[in-house]
Amino acid sequence: SSNEHKLNFKKSKEACLSYIQDALLQKQWERAAEFLTCYVESLEKDYSREHIGPSEMIWRIGTEILWHHSHSSMKEFNCFMEQMKTLGVKRYLKVCLEHVFHLLCNGQIDEAYQNLSLAESWRFGEQTAIQDKEMKLIQAYRGLLDYCSWSKQKNILLEHGEDVFSDLAVEQEMHGYFRKAAVNLKEIIKIPGVWDVFVKCYVDLLEFYGDHNEARQVLNEYAYNSKFPANPNAHVYLYQFLKRQGESKKSLISALKILHDIVPSHELMIDFNTMLQKSKKRKKRRLGLEVIFAALDYAGWKENAKAWSCLARQVKQIVISEKHLDWIKQEWNSRKDWWPAFHFSRYLAKRNWQEDKSLSYEKALVAGILLGKGCKYFKHVSHQGCKAQLKRFRMLKKFVNRHNPVYLRISG
Amino acid sequence: MEFPAALFPSYFSAGPPREEGGPAPVAGWGEHGQVLEGGPGRRQAQPAFVPRRGATGERWEAADAAAVPVLLPSAGCWIPSPAPQDILYRSGLFKKLRAGKSGATLDFARQLGHFFVDHPEDAFGSLGRLLHKNFYLGNSKLKRPARNSTIRMTALVEDIDRLEARRGCPRQHLASRLRWFSHLCRDWLFEVPLGLLADCLHEELMLQWSNLLFDDSLTGGALAWLPLGDGGTPVGRLVYPGGQAMNHLFFQDVVLEELPHTRGSPAQFELSGRVRQVAAARVDGEDFIGVRSDYHCGVWRVPGRTGAAPTPLQVIHTDVPASCLTVSPHLPGELSVCTQSGTVYLWNVETGLQQLRYGPQTMFFRDHSPWRWSDFTAHPRVLSCADRTGLQCLDARAPKKCHFDLFKVGEEAGCQQGERVVLPMYLGRAHPSQYLVTTQFSMYVLDERLPLVPILKWAHMMKAPPLFAHVMPGNPGRSHKVLLGASRTQELLLLQYRGKRSTIWVRAPLCLHPSLLIAGTSCCWRLCSRAGFWGVSSGGSQSACQLAGTPQKLHSIAGCLQHLPTQLPHRHHLLQQRLTAPATGMAATLQEDGPHKSMLVFQLSEAGDVFCQRLTHKATQPSAPPSRDEATTAPGSSPLFKAPPSPVVLSPAAALQYRRWLRAFHRACREPPRHTWPPSLSQRRLFTRRDLEGPEGPTTLQRQMRQRLRQAMQEGGRIQCWEPLALQPPPLPQTLEPAGGLDPLSARLTAAWAGDWEQWWEERTSFSVAQKQRALRERRRQQKRARGRRSLSASFTSSLTYQSELSELSDAGPPLLSPGRPHVFSQEGSPPAGSPPVCSPPTSPVPDEALLSSQSLRCRGIPKERRKTLRDYLSVWAEGPPEPPEPPGSQASQLCIPSSQSQPCIPSSQTQLSSASQPRHKRPRMGF
Repeated sequence: SSNEHKLNFKKSKEACLSYIQDALLQKQWERAAEFLTCYVESLEKDYSREHIGPSEMIWRIGTEILWHHSHSSMKEFNCFMEQMKTLGVKRYLKVCLEHVFHLLCNGQIDEAYQNLSLAESWRFGEQTAIQDKEMKLIQAYRGLLDYCSWSKQKNILLEHGEDVFSDLAVEQEMHGYFRKAAVNLKEIIKIPGVWDVFVKCYVDLLEFYGDHNEARQVLNEYAYNSKFPANPNAHVYLYQFLKRQGESKKSLISALKILHDIVPSHELMIDFNTMLQKSKKRKKRRLGLEVIFAALDYAGWKENAKAWSCLARQVKQIVISEKHLDWIKQEWNSRKDWWPAFHFSRYLAKRNWQEDKSLSYEKALVAGILLGKGCKYFKHVSHQGCKAQLKRFRMLKKFVNRHNPVYLRISG
Repeated sequence: MEFPAALFPSYFSAGPPREEGGPAPVAGWGEHGQVLEGGPGRRQAQPAFVPRRGATGERWEAADAAAVPVLLPSAGCWIPSPAPQDILYRSGLFKKLRAGKSGATLDFARQLGHFFVDHPEDAFGSLGRLLHKNFYLGNSKLKRPARNSTIRMTALVEDIDRLEARRGCPRQHLASRLRWFSHLCRDWLFEVPLGLLADCLHEELMLQWSNLLFDDSLTGGALAWLPLGDGGTPVGRLVYPGGQAMNHLFFQDVVLEELPHTRGSPAQFELSGRVRQVAAARVDGEDFIGVRSDYHCGVWRVPGRTGAAPTPLQVIHTDVPASCLTVSPHLPGELSVCTQSGTVYLWNVETGLQQLRYGPQTMFFRDHSPWRWSDFTAHPRVLSCADRTGLQCLDARAPKKCHFDLFKVGEEAGCQQGERVVLPMYLGRAHPSQYLVTTQFSMYVLDERLPLVPILKWAHMMKAPPLFAHVMPGNPGRSHKVLLGASRTQELLLLQYRGKRSTIWVRAPLCLHPSLLIAGTSCCWRLCSRAGFWGVSSGGSQSACQLAGTPQKLHSIAGCLQHLPTQLPHRHHLLQQRLTAPATGMAATLQEDGPHKSMLVFQLSEAGDVFCQRLTHKATQPSAPPSRDEATTAPGSSPLFKAPPSPVVLSPAAALQYRRWLRAFHRACREPPRHTWPPSLSQRRLFTRRDLEGPEGPTTLQRQMRQRLRQAMQEGGRIQCWEPLALQPPPLPQTLEPAGGLDPLSARLTAAWAGDWEQWWEERTSFSVAQKQRALRERRRQQKRARGRRSLSASFTSSLTYQSELSELSDAGPPLLSPGRPHVFSQEGSPPAGSPPVCSPPTSPVPDEALLSSQSLRCRGIPKERRKTLRDYLSVWAEGPPEPPEPPGSQASQLCIPSSQSQPCIPSSQTQLSSASQPRHKRPRMGF
């Protein structure tokens, strides 16, 4: 009968859990809390060998309830978290981290820092791989908070720059923060992962102290190490760093070229295109055309007036100079079967005209050149433009009419 | 679209998933995941952190206590798909034996038995026909001459019954007779070799079982909502499958008032297969609807204004069942199709199909599932292809060369062991480069620009894997709403996530926070944006993706059961069965009416019901996040949680709708007639029209009779007795030959063709006088009975008026073959030429009881299934209110024929006769 008792206990445990789950999913926090007090009994006879045991369940559910319960307070929450930390050794670091997150989100930075320090000094036997990761994260977040303190001190210094004497202590303190932050941040960014915040902070520290080589190395590693995910931000940070350092156009372009290769739809592609268009080298200008065409392939760029004006400007240049029409032709070749429906449909002509006249102007120019003056988009927009007696649209019509033969050469 | 300036921190490693796990019931609660510094560009701010999960979301509340039906149930009954108890082994003994072990056991033997009983012709047709002379099913002892060539099967049948009774008993060797018999005839008795048949059956059972566990053919869902942008009253169009086989496609206009209601009649298309998926996308103001059935995919175009009729554009046929159909949100008339053979096509209505990928292998590791999926991405030429192991993106212009991995079930995304992709979906409406991937454990949001690393991951805790998903983009500054839906459990989950810097992340100024002051921190961390946080402050408007609010469970169809008026138990059961049918689709729409925002969620069930619920948006005052210090949230002051919970009582309008629906439901499900009426039955449920068709023109006998009658009337005389004519020995060739008059040879051939050759021969050669007389007597009786009845329906209906007698007997096992049956079949139309036509009893040499036995029925070419149907039907009838037992095909009209009640009854002596002469429970087994 003990077996039966066990089974019954298990059944009622499950039933209780499903009530709690139901209440949580319907945002009935009070009801869930009542059930949870009953569920605590399940800790008594914890025979389960499941993935998530009752103690973890209680932690998760309790946390969720305390986040939302109308009568809960931060004090209670902290108290609950402390209890939960003692409930499972394996989960100690995880609970600590979550506790810290909650404190951070509620603006209790100092409490969070204390908790991080405490957690960092925690030792219990051999650490598992997961615990190792969690420990690294704890250290990294501590580094982040140290960085915040450092940054605060720095600002104080910058504001009261004249007042030398009081600054000495502040400066000392600031350097202390720097050391603590740098050590911890440096550690985590060696491990493959997405560490945007940590990298940014670490680079900021290094830059402040003039260690540009180290900063460059860190950013290069973050961007180009193949063990790291292909994070566009890594390339953006590198590019921004190079820009701040006043690096040559060439290195900026090469940084952006790689970004273009991995994310052709990145918003920096406009800068990239502008930079390339200004270049004197033919190859670069050619690349610029490629970049802007590729960016406009993406749905997110469909109504980006800036991108369209970049394309319109470059296409216009090429048409006027009548040189390198083959560039356009080549780009157009792989797009002529779907761009008309994607960008230059009659429906879009109407909508763009209504919503954004300048966008429709740029698009009409491109459509007129790529598809000829008979194109639906161009016809609609230029007609509307002329009807509204807008000068630039009349000019546009004239321009396209004059250069209509280009269309034959591009599409031929 | 800008890329977030900083992403939430996460580890990244490659390889197969390391985390062991399983379904975890609460894994999604209580975790922030990670935090990120947010709040750029605000003056006087100290570093504010935002969590990956746990930010405040919008508050949506159900407007009513349950989901409300949108459509009335269509006429005709719905046949529930098999339930686990139908194909699983259920026996007390066995349960005990297997207690503690996991896994289900399919009841293979029972299914095979069903097959033998239900399809004896297919199982034993030819040998059964050859041997039926030699098998005797009666109780009486066999006489000497017969014993030489006939064996008595009754004992064998009893043995089988006994075996059934002690199933699982280890002492099975007692049934030596059975063993002997099966040993003797296992090899030759079966029409299809037993091993082969068993293999096929087992395969089918496994298939059914796996479908029961998880039916992935429903992925994507078969319900779509097309908003009609007309302004004024909010109108939309619901696209859903209907009909008994779910092979009709309906486009129904729906007006969204307090309760959505239909307007006008739906546009309807009949398709040649069950609709599995309805996908829709709006391009250039027109909706394109892709419809997938197993072997056909079609595309419709619906102009986005009211009253515009949907036009079918194109249909493709696939050799292998299609598993996916998605419609491009970028280009009109473009779709992607996947088949279970692993082929992915880009389908353009104008240019046709382009194959992008081929091969049954899965992408990242081996998985047996043939399920494939494909969807569009931010680039109109790049398609994603998915199988259970992950997602890859292919460039349609060079599919072999240009591709990248978007999602892998592995350590990259922090998956668990055993996790599999269930539904990928392009979230283009919310964000052009975001992607949703659901597995049985978690939901992931991915960004194409950062492949493999989910920008959002959350354990959804649903009991069944989410097969349906729907995204409702939020305006800038508001959260995107994602609905996840499961099939079997009908779960619906509403999630919110935010991908843009929201303007509603308003906090009380933190520098005034008392606890901070106490802690001695200076109240203002004046961060000079020029000097510090360079990245954050220049980061622009895009922030990393975060889950907002808590997940919310929505009403399911089954949930409305408790709000319906109390039903009679059997009705309640029917209703319950209907309402708990697996969900097969989901659609939703946001409706903004000035300050009032509401969300309508539609759910389609396998039974074809569409239910709808409305959620209303409650504006939250810009308040602090809920769980903060007492100082900011004085006890009980939070406006968020003091509001009454969602309504528990139905609104009157909803109650009215329920009543209407219930009425239609009961009408559709055809209740049994009231008990005050004499029971009657329609024969149309039992026989197809062809069966019922009378013979072409009156038979010879009828013609003769009519002639005599006419003559007698003309003469003003009377017919003394009908007999003289009948007394003439039945001219054998005539009875065998229908109007056409066959020569003996062709008569013999036709008889042989119909399987009655032996009988024909016997009749032809040894036609003893005694037999003839007996036949005559029988026929006389027949004619007496038949007097006054001319139509089959009448005869049959009247045969059921002795319902009471029948039900008395019904406890004796399977119902008897009704004595009325010979009449039915004797009048049945157009039998094969060789079988005895109308009024042929004289030709039959067998005595009465034999006439009623299954052999004699079968030798008239009566299919056995019919008999079983009849038997089952009668048993149901005798036992209680009938459930709807009919397959969809024979449901033309099921109204009882009232006129039948005026028909004369069968004399009760007949039932006595049959119950005396017919051994009870003569349920034919093994086709004999």
